[in-house]
Amino acid sequence: MVKNCHKIFFSTAGVVLMVLSSTPAWAGILGDDWEKFFKEKVSFGGFVENTSGVSVGAGSHFFNTSNRFVMNRFIIQPEFNVDMAEWAKLFISWRFVAEPRYSMETKSREATVTYFPTQPVKPLIVTYYSEYSPVPWEAVLDVSPTDRLKLRIGRQFISWGETDGFRLLDVINPQNLRFSPPAAPNLFNLDESRLPSWGLRMLYTVRPVSNTILEFFALPGSLDFPDERVDLFMGANDTGDRKVRYGRWSAHPETRLTLGGRNAFGNLFANPLNPGACVGLGCLVIPSTTRQLPGAGESWKVGARVTHSIGKLNFGLGYIWGFNPQATDMVFKVTSVGCSAALIACQLGGAPSVVNMKLVNDRTNIFAGHFNYTVDQIASLPVNTAIRGEIALYPSEPYNISQYPGQFGLMASANPKYPEAIVEKNTLRYMLGFDRSTLIPFLQDDPWRPFRMSFQIFQRVIFDHENGIHPFSSAQKINKFTTNFTFRVSTGYLGDTILPDVFVSYDPAGYWSANPAVTYAPPWNEKISLSLIGAFYGGHNKFANLGLFSEKDSIFLKMRYQF
Amino acid sequence: MMKLRVNGQALLKPTAVTLSIILYGWLLLGFASVAAAAEADLKVGETIGPQNWQKIQGMVGENLLSRIKAGYTIQIKASKVYQPLKEYVEATEKYSGKVSLGANGELLNYVAGQPFPKLDPNDPQIGQKLAWNFFYRWLGDDYKTGGAVKGGKILRFAIEKDGSERRADVVSYFLFPSTRYTLNPKPAIPGYEHIDYIQLRIDSYPRDASGTTTLEIRYKDPARADDLHIYLPSIRRIRRATTTQRCQTLAPSEFNLDDINSFNGKITDFNYKYLGDKKILANISQEHLPFARKPGDYLPLDEKWEVVDTFVLEITPKDPNYCYPRKLLHLNKATFDTHWTLMWDKKGEYWKEQFGFFTPVKLADGREVWSVGDVVIVNVQNGRSTIVTATRAYNQGYPASMFSLATLQSIMRGGSIE
Repeated sequence: MVKNCHKIFFSTAGVVLMVLSSTPAWAGILGDDWEKFFKEKVSFGGFVENTSGVSVGAGSHFFNTSNRFVMNRFIIQPEFNVDMAEWAKLFISWRFVAEPRYSMETKSREATVTYFPTQPVKPLIVTYYSEYSPVPWEAVLDVSPTDRLKLRIGRQFISWGETDGFRLLDVINPQNLRFSPPAAPNLFNLDESRLPSWGLRMLYTVRPVSNTILEFFALPGSLDFPDERVDLFMGANDTGDRKVRYGRWSAHPETRLTLGGRNAFGNLFANPLNPGACVGLGCLVIPSTTRQLPGAGESWKVGARVTHSIGKLNFGLGYIWGFNPQATDMVFKVTSVGCSAALIACQLGGAPSVVNMKLVNDRTNIFAGHFNYTVDQIASLPVNTAIRGEIALYPSEPYNISQYPGQFGLMASANPKYPEAIVEKNTLRYMLGFDRSTLIPFLQDDPWRPFRMSFQIFQRVIFDHENGIHPFSSAQKINKFTTNFTFRVSTGYLGDTILPDVFVSYDPAGYWSANPAVTYAPPWNEKISLSLIGAFYGGHNKFANLGLFSEKDSIFLKMRYQF
Repeated sequence: MMKLRVNGQALLKPTAVTLSIILYGWLLLGFASVAAAAEADLKVGETIGPQNWQKIQGMVGENLLSRIKAGYTIQIKASKVYQPLKEYVEATEKYSGKVSLGANGELLNYVAGQPFPKLDPNDPQIGQKLAWNFFYRWLGDDYKTGGAVKGGKILRFAIEKDGSERRADVVSYFLFPSTRYTLNPKPAIPGYEHIDYIQLRIDSYPRDASGTTTLEIRYKDPARADDLHIYLPSIRRIRRATTTQRCQTLAPSEFNLDDINSFNGKITDFNYKYLGDKKILANISQEHLPFARKPGDYLPLDEKWEVVDTFVLEITPKDPNYCYPRKLLHLNKATFDTHWTLMWDKKGEYWKEQFGFFTPVKLADGREVWSVGDVVIVNVQNGRSTIVTATRAYNQGYPASMFSLATLQSIMRGGSIE
């Protein structure tokens, strides 16, 4: 009932705002003051966009017909600014997305997903990728009780950090990873895939001249839709027959674990009920997984930060409690082990056991820091570089852990030391980045139009590392040190009517992604843009890192009209 | 004790009379020059066109002159005279006596006002002094560029050679925290004595650019480069940028960082040479904002031009890699604003010309001052031009806290901060 009232209220508000901001004269029926208010205080903007994509991967495993269509996404996003008073402003936007469920994807899912106990696989609903809630996408009231204090209340985005393309500290708001290919910021930037959350943010400028700012935020989570309190992504791929995988951007599943021709993924997390006496399929453990979404009362995210400048150095130190871990940082938690048949059959080692697991968002916290600094020259040589960095300490971050090599001839199996299949380790992640504008006259029609370049190093260090730590979705081990490099270059030609932008990432362990894009912004209309974008992936091992997406190479055409 | 009365109010102390006479003297000379020019060559109401373009040769940029030869016409009007602001004159009187130049052209002992009100054409350092007078000309204690434009925004049009146009709207705020004349605290906000100006600039149209906000800080220290922070709405984060690449094109406009306000470089990074006085054609009483023009062209159709007395200042860079080996400013003798800026490239070829109209605006107390109106920059080599309507609203009383990184994080797409 309350939710229906919300929907009705926001739907009505949206329609009224749209009508009155486009024709303020209509507000005149409420009085001259209202007409004047809408003319002077309300502004309207937004965009409509269509993104279409096709798979270009050789011998696509996902589509065995000529239809290699991977995306046809239509978005309309109206936005309103209301200058309510000198000390109060309102911004409200709605987002409506129409994107069909792809029939090949659905058929693939029906063919490959199996549940235990056996039950019909639920098909993806037709509107699985669509978004049409009347609840505003973003609705913030900005209040400045004093010139140094800023409060933002409402459904909002809070983004910390200095990274580009990948997230490190930017884990306050969750992300929608269902529609966007990974590592493709030129296709959908972080803001387009970030999910808003209801809450409060406060910024207090203690000392303006040194940019000494105190920040505090609180997002209760209870006002958000349950599945939008955490990252949205397509569920784990089951591998009943190791054939076609479902989900456009689902990672390549773990297919190396088989026992008697059956999927032995469950053996990673639990041993059979009678490991000593089991024979054949009696040693198999079938996974039965559910996604455990955080409840309303346990979805709080709270954080605080102080930033300051000393000379050319700007830095910040902060703390986040109850962060939303990225999809790749989630863990399976073993809750119980049962039997696929009568219990006695498993106890005698003759029938497969069943491990019940929940995919959980652990409420780990983060000690956060960032800095940026400009370097003009080193030893009289012009460097002209901005350096930035981010650091995050995750105390007791949970990881799944298994035993390598495993029992029963498997590559890996459950580690009896950890009955929940989880180990907690202090983890340090950091990023160091360098930004530079460089003139390369011979590559340009305007010799003074610079190339903007940025280079980033991401690293993760797991303290007190143990052999056997692996991500929840794969048996590929995570090393003590994990490194990733990214490089981005962009510029403009012909008066910035042609805008190329290339983002690449590389893991020295042998994985890469490339996200080139070229945008045409016509000189006769600033509202239109057309972009051709590629998302390409590779790696020697398709069970790890960006190799997980090595069969998902695609190109996209994005058409956008701003109003 | 003699007092000078303006509008019935006794404004100036006797000790300021001498200074005022010097400042007014330049104005009167200018006015006299105008009258002389009008009588000798150009008359009020006269139309200049293809038939008589020779009359104004050297008084406008070569590209505009070419357009006149090709058929464009302009009309001459009487020159406007602006009164210098009393507080600025008083500050000049109070502080200019101790100002001098350092070994590298840096300014020593400067507090506020015009650094060098007394200029000797034979002074070998006159060029440097003119440059400092230009940098510290009266610009208010703060201003909102676009604040006096209908809609409260800067309108920018980037025009291609074929006449295609793209529009962008910007809002820009300037704070001069260490040279304050009217608003308290004066002459400087405590803690900000080391900062010349802070600019907060917000893109507001088109939508994808809107919300992009920059915070730029110019320091008095000649050795310290500007700080630049940019908020990118696409990632909702602030990114740090370097400003040492002053020549980079601010595409799709034809400006670069140092073209803003005609010359925005660090004064000590350049050499200056005074080339003499010159009468030029300008418009310091623009009537229509923005001026009327044909779509796809930058020529004003409904504005008249007036003769203005200027100092001609040649600027050459100390850095041999700088984009403009030569730049000419034409500084209004009374206000030290520029009306014509001409630029050449490294081959010595004429590259860009920029002219800026000015217009009267009122302060909150009703006094009339001048503001930039429409500014046009033309790249004569690629045929592109950019027009900016940037009339200012001065002395709005912006708090220093507005010019901080907290503000960057609080701007929404299409939104405002006041």
